[in-house]
Amino acid sequence: MIHAKHLTKTYGNFIAVQNATFTVQTGEVVGLLGPNGAGKTTIMRMLTGFTPPSAGQVLIGDFDLARDPLDARQLIGYLPERVPLYTDLTVLEYLHYWAELRGMTNRKQRTARVHAILDEVQLGDKKRHLVRHLSKGMRQRLGIAQALVHQPRVIILDEPTIGIDPHQVIEVRQTVRELRNQHAVLFSTHILTEAEQVCDRLIILNRGQIIAQGTPSELRQRVQAGGAVYVETRERLSATEWQSLLAPIPHIRSVQTERNGVHLIMDGLDCRDAISTTIQSANLTLIELSSHSLTLEDVFVALTSSQGTPRP
Amino acid sequence: MTVLTVIKREFLSYRTSLIFYVVAGAFLFLAAISFYADLTLSLTVKPIRPDAIPSFFALGMIFFAPVMTMRTLAEEKREGTMELLLTAPITDTALVLGKFMSIWLYFTALLFSTLTYQYILLGFGQTQDMGQAMTAYMGMWLYGGASLAVGMLYSATTENQIVAAFLCSTTLLFLYLGNLVGEVVPSLELALILNELSFQGHYANTFALGVVRLEDIVYFVGVIAIALFISIRLVQGQRVN
Repeated sequence: MIHAKHLTKTYGNFIAVQNATFTVQTGEVVGLLGPNGAGKTTIMRMLTGFTPPSAGQVLIGDFDLARDPLDARQLIGYLPERVPLYTDLTVLEYLHYWAELRGMTNRKQRTARVHAILDEVQLGDKKRHLVRHLSKGMRQRLGIAQALVHQPRVIILDEPTIGIDPHQVIEVRQTVRELRNQHAVLFSTHILTEAEQVCDRLIILNRGQIIAQGTPSELRQRVQAGGAVYVETRERLSATEWQSLLAPIPHIRSVQTERNGVHLIMDGLDCRDAISTTIQSANLTLIELSSHSLTLEDVFVALTSSQGTPRP
Repeated sequence: MTVLTVIKREFLSYRTSLIFYVVAGAFLFLAAISFYADLTLSLTVKPIRPDAIPSFFALGMIFFAPVMTMRTLAEEKREGTMELLLTAPITDTALVLGKFMSIWLYFTALLFSTLTYQYILLGFGQTQDMGQAMTAYMGMWLYGGASLAVGMLYSATTENQIVAAFLCSTTLLFLYLGNLVGEVVPSLELALILNELSFQGHYANTFALGVVRLEDIVYFVGVIAIALFISIRLVQGQRVN
């Protein structure tokens, strides 16, 4: 449903997104992951037609977004990062407005759909309230409702779980998972566990470029690490001290301090012997050296670290 | 169809907006004062002026137009709803036209509600030129439309409503006073040009006196068209940024 081909967006000399190519099919939820400033929102804005790409092409269904913008936009439901609301309308009026604007001109059908979506997002009892009187979580759910009200084939959600309470986060994730049955869903998030729970595939962005895409298990295989290791010594070392201590060991891809020790991602080879030897040579007392399989967080850190490693 | 949807939404928001009640109250109150003053004078000093109320609003629009238009597009940008509008299946032209038509309809309702005073005069047995009164109303309707279009243009340039209102008010003041400046400049050619460019130059000596000229209609319609065209381009420009 979504075909992004070689999308590039530049602002003067700054390249916000470079040569991004990917697809999202009906029946899958694809997560867009990346650190702040990686280009997630810019990509979403190019896909919705808010920002035209400097180069490349977007196809929504059979429509080229540049040549048939109105037909293409008709297929999209979009929730921007900042939930756009008219606080001077009631909940019912707000949804009627967006439904009508997106082509639901039959009042009877529109009314039925608006009430159905209000029940789905559990705002049925608030339908006559002014939007300005809703809580933050309710506003977020109303934002999701406006994206779904016209039953679009493509749904683009920019960090939909930000700012809502844990119960509502679970509900939103459940809603997004259920959407996959009839829609193509592109979903951006910073929360890696959320991405793993909700998404069938992930696209990882860094500095405007797609550095990896695939299912979570494919991405783990791609990193091809010897695994992740937690190391703790009796002596408390700072992050800098850990980095200088472990600098001579090759194949350590990432070093991050965690609790009283350090979390290492290893690239290819199991370096536990070398780590143990290095610690003993430095006259430190090793109290824990435990390995575990890579989490999505490890994969993300490994992929988005500068040249694959944040080490000095 | 989408134009109608935008108009409906705008009218729904007027319903809960304090500023529109204040504008309506002030508009009708000032119209009443203007009517009362003219009626009082007509008893002793001079005959009643059929254009008294609409002509009063030539000055009034310097204040009313900015207040009525400052939020139209600026608020959409400030609240982030512009992003959703620009990604909805609606053209930029339909969006701007819908917003303009709703505010012009609102102005039309306010302006023509003051026609009541003309009927009160007839009830008092005052004889006056109803033709001149209706011409003045028609002229003020176009004058008001042009003022609102200028206000919308400034609302499209910024997300700060105060800045939009100030720029609109300043521009309308110049367009109001333009013909007076024309009266004091030494060059006849320059005076004519300034008169032709000003709003008052196309209202005070024509519509207000019961004269309908095609060039005056074309002038106001032209100002509306140009201001809306620039507004549409400014909205389109937001996609690029």
